[in-house]
Amino acid sequence: MGHPRFHRLLSRLLSDYGMVLVLLLLGACFSHVTWDEQHPTGGEAAEQLKDRITREFSPGSAVLVVAREHGEDAIFADSLERRLSDAGMNVLGTVKGQPSDARGRLEALSRSGAGLDAIACTDVTGRWAVFDRLGDKFPGLSGARVLTPPSYRWPNFLKRDNLLNVANQIAVIAILAVGMTMVIITAGIDLSVGSLIAFSAVVCTWLIREAASAEAAGPLDMVLCGLGAILLCGLLGAFSGVMVTWFAIPPFIATLGMMLVASGLAYILAEGQSVYQVPDSFVWLGRGADFLRIPNAVVLMLALYLSAHLLMTRTALGRYIYAVGGNREAARLSGVPVTAVLIFVYTLCAALAGLGGVVMASQLKSGSPTYGLMYELYTIAAVVVGGASLAGGEGRIFGTLIGAFIIAVIQNGMNLTGVESYTQKVVLGAVILGAVLLDIAKKRGWGRLQRAGPA
Amino acid sequence: MGTPDRVNLGLTSRQRWRLTLGAPIFQVFQTVSNRGRDRMSGIQRFLSMRPRRGTVAALAMLVLLAGCRADQGGKTPGDGTPSRGTIGLSVMTLTNPFFKVIADTLTDEARKYGYEVVVTSGEFDVARQRNQVKDFIVRKVSAIVLCPTDSKAIGTAIQEANQAGIPVFTADLACLAPGAKVVSHIATDNYAGGKEAGRAMIEVLGEAGGKIVVLHYEQAESCLLRVKGFTEIIHEYNRERQAGKIDIVAVLPGGGAKDGGYKAAEDAIQAHPDLVGIFAINDPSALGARAALEKAGKADQVRIIGFDGQPEGKQAIKDGLIYADPVQFPDRIGRQTMQTIARHFEGEEVPAEILIPTALYRKADADKDPTLQ
Repeated sequence: MGHPRFHRLLSRLLSDYGMVLVLLLLGACFSHVTWDEQHPTGGEAAEQLKDRITREFSPGSAVLVVAREHGEDAIFADSLERRLSDAGMNVLGTVKGQPSDARGRLEALSRSGAGLDAIACTDVTGRWAVFDRLGDKFPGLSGARVLTPPSYRWPNFLKRDNLLNVANQIAVIAILAVGMTMVIITAGIDLSVGSLIAFSAVVCTWLIREAASAEAAGPLDMVLCGLGAILLCGLLGAFSGVMVTWFAIPPFIATLGMMLVASGLAYILAEGQSVYQVPDSFVWLGRGADFLRIPNAVVLMLALYLSAHLLMTRTALGRYIYAVGGNREAARLSGVPVTAVLIFVYTLCAALAGLGGVVMASQLKSGSPTYGLMYELYTIAAVVVGGASLAGGEGRIFGTLIGAFIIAVIQNGMNLTGVESYTQKVVLGAVILGAVLLDIAKKRGWGRLQRAGPA
Repeated sequence: MGTPDRVNLGLTSRQRWRLTLGAPIFQVFQTVSNRGRDRMSGIQRFLSMRPRRGTVAALAMLVLLAGCRADQGGKTPGDGTPSRGTIGLSVMTLTNPFFKVIADTLTDEARKYGYEVVVTSGEFDVARQRNQVKDFIVRKVSAIVLCPTDSKAIGTAIQEANQAGIPVFTADLACLAPGAKVVSHIATDNYAGGKEAGRAMIEVLGEAGGKIVVLHYEQAESCLLRVKGFTEIIHEYNRERQAGKIDIVAVLPGGGAKDGGYKAAEDAIQAHPDLVGIFAINDPSALGARAALEKAGKADQVRIIGFDGQPEGKQAIKDGLIYADPVQFPDRIGRQTMQTIARHFEGEEVPAEILIPTALYRKADADKDPTLQ
């Protein structure tokens, strides 16, 4: 058998972050089922297609290049045209555009009677129906063959774009889950985060429209508007915290009230419409990708997780938060400022929800009071799947990140494999239940799980 | 599950269950996570172990895997037609049968052209719908069809699809965001439908005229058009008459739902006891209004015109609860959308907007309708 230290590490990893394994298994599963034909793009595709054409056709053959007009396709078309000309082919032209553009060019070629040997396409344009039964539609071109670059096989799930997509899709919920983890560790709950997303998105875009100069707002204006929205959300969170501590209202009720208040405020402020008068550069946070082509929202999310991890493991405040959740009375007696800690946690959670709202407004380039529907539940699910206990005192920040990713991977994987949305709900619900069951099993031991019943 | 042979090896029922279901997987986990029991054989060890998180997770994954596989298998296009690729569809909600019909007919029609359709639903959450569009882009679908959950906020997602060179079509609900390029929008002619509703109202009230209210849902572009068409017809009718005018005394929010329609109609009867007609922008709010009228004992005095022609609405027309509906044809929308996509890929110029007319549906039509009891 292997090295004992390796075993010890593995078993610690399993008990601490058993969900990592689940995530990897999920990844493996979806890689397997999304194993699919992939098509090279850009210059690489052009090189391969040129090789094929020079192999199958003699020099001087007439070739038409057909691609769409956007980025990679345009590179493909230009590069292929150049390479084919260098190889001595007679390139009759390049179509960059829609099927109708291709049709127009084919009609012109057919009328001119010049004859055409090959149509060089990308994998996408090669499937356009306009090239079906070519001889019937364009009598002059009956001899032409449609050629596409050779394909290779690789899972859709494991493509770089898709993995970044997964991270980007979960960024908002993951950001909320940082604050929610802390609240849940204190044995509380915050139901208002979904509404706060809507509130913050509306406040941020409304401020840009009303206070800054709408579409002409500068970067500094937008940052200030975003901070204003986050600050307001933080204030609402502090209010919830005060309700929970000074007035001893159960967190469930206090934040339920706040959920309705925040949602109502968002509707009032936006007058029930979406607020979309924001500059184009407003999407920088939600759609930009400056650092290593990683989306900015994902970088922000990772930075938040790192700081929250340090806060929870390396600072006195972090230990206080665990202590309050583990046993509030014991914490108070040992000198932990329980009230201040709780108010801080609710404020932070709401402020992070505010930040999530700003990110979402930026992703969607508008603010609307309908955002964030059910997000509190997804967030709580991410935290619980990540191993935090609703009874408090237990939970890890990075566990939550894993939990959020499990939810994102399941949703993304099911979208990629075409599982219909009714089934998606069932699977997601089952995974959440399964995770909680595992949590209980871990604590009580499997044997006692069935007998324990409703305690 | 039958148990054909009862060869009992002295195992408990739980051990037997494990043996049949998951021995190989359990063993793998056991070998990596269990130490110091080398003398026991793998199976013995497996039978005596307590399940861990990993084992349960592995089982869950297997189930999931099976699910994915089955689903993929079921969606391959029919034999004989070449596979042209995939069309991604995201509707507003699948809880409304209207969108379910669009999705089903689009899928059937797509199969004829050699496309398979991935059906997703935003369920009123525009961020979720945006994610679905992003997944479509990663999957490199041939075309995307949307029933936007938010006519403005969906714009950024459509722009991303535009950048990826994927043509976007909208069905039933339009995208109003500037800068988002939609090849074609296929929808019910709501404006003409509203006019039909107006004519039906004139028809049912006859020479007497009287006070009516409109139950609106102002958030939806389609409903704005319906009410616009309706009021235009009513005003035109009034202009030519001295007596027996139809007077729209209020436009109330009905929420497009039964509870909203109920409340709004209740208030309307209180404010205008001599009310004679209600135009509701869809069937649920019309039926909600009907319930309020029945409660107030005014069901015979106030006539209702609805909109949509969903099964429940048609049944209500047959039972005489609603006078008439301009009915929409979600099946035609779905079919027309697919035909437009096919024409686009054939290289034809397609119109930017294709409107499907409504048809007025009265009790006589309902009596002949084979889909109703």
